[in-house]
Amino acid sequence: MAVELEGRLEEVVDHGADTRSLFLGLPVALDFRPGQFISCQLPVGGETLIRPYSIASSPEEPRRLELLLNLVPGGPGSHYLFGLPRGAPLRFSGPWGTFVLERAPAAETVFIADGTGIAPIRPMLRRALATATGRPLHLLAAAKSPERVLYRAELEAHKHPLFSWDHVASDALEEQVTRRWVERDADRSRRFFICGVGAIVPTLRDLLRRAGYERRAVQYEKW
Amino acid sequence: MAKLRVQFESGEPERVIDFDPARAPFQHDGRPGSILDVLLAHGIHLEHACGGNCACTTCHVVVKKGMERLSASEDAEDDLLDKAPGLTPTSRLGCQAVIEDPDAEIVVWIPKYTINQISGHGS
Repeated sequence: MAVELEGRLEEVVDHGADTRSLFLGLPVALDFRPGQFISCQLPVGGETLIRPYSIASSPEEPRRLELLLNLVPGGPGSHYLFGLPRGAPLRFSGPWGTFVLERAPAAETVFIADGTGIAPIRPMLRRALATATGRPLHLLAAAKSPERVLYRAELEAHKHPLFSWDHVASDALEEQVTRRWVERDADRSRRFFICGVGAIVPTLRDLLRRAGYERRAVQYEKW
Repeated sequence: MAKLRVQFESGEPERVIDFDPARAPFQHDGRPGSILDVLLAHGIHLEHACGGNCACTTCHVVVKKGMERLSASEDAEDDLLDKAPGLTPTSRLGCQAVIEDPDAEIVVWIPKYTINQISGHGS
């Protein structure tokens, strides 16, 4: 059940000029599932803007949420959040969303994260690693360059024998997904979790489903 | 003018909205001319936790009349409705179902759970 809460901005970590993590301290624990988002209520220009942000941290830290966001040119919501001083209140409702992973699927699982689309994937991946069933887990992280993969150090620190990850340029995602999981073999038992911003997400969804993967085997969230 | 009748499981009185679909968007959340767009612009609150971006099911409504006069649903909406509580054959997401026909008369029913999903609301 979702609740309404007021968190406080405790910490800001910049990942680059226009990408930042906000850490919110909560007065009570928030019970959420890996992959869910909160719905922020932003007082901008005399009205309340509703802006959803995936929770990039894990349910094991229920009183401190990490939100990952890009500064959107001309976007009033992200500009408000980028201007928020430490200690400022932030009102939200949540958790929301059905793009979730509560335990590792009993099948090879592929996570595809484009840019800040790694936000919900990160807690999903952590949970999948903690509940791994012996099936491979792979993350394909898309970014402009390998150095710009978000949470790169954390990904490199995951030494789980079933886990692997690599980088691909965002504009090569479609080609890479086709090559690796459509053309390379006839195995259609894999599970996919895809998150990103814009048309690439439904493009990959349709590509995989048309290739024979079951509809429910291809989960996605498009922001 | 198109007509949108809004009925509430909660027992609130029915609301009737007359509007010109050609003037959409009426506010900034949901697809322009969508049920969510029309409702919010006329002071009727419909939850839309994802901001009307087709990423949750909180704006789920049941269409009682005029289903064929709404824009067709796309895969993203169908995939989400698949997970919506209380799904019916005429369920739609308010943020995605667009009323384009100026002569359409649509009747939608707003389930209690669409309004009262936040703990403590409505209690």
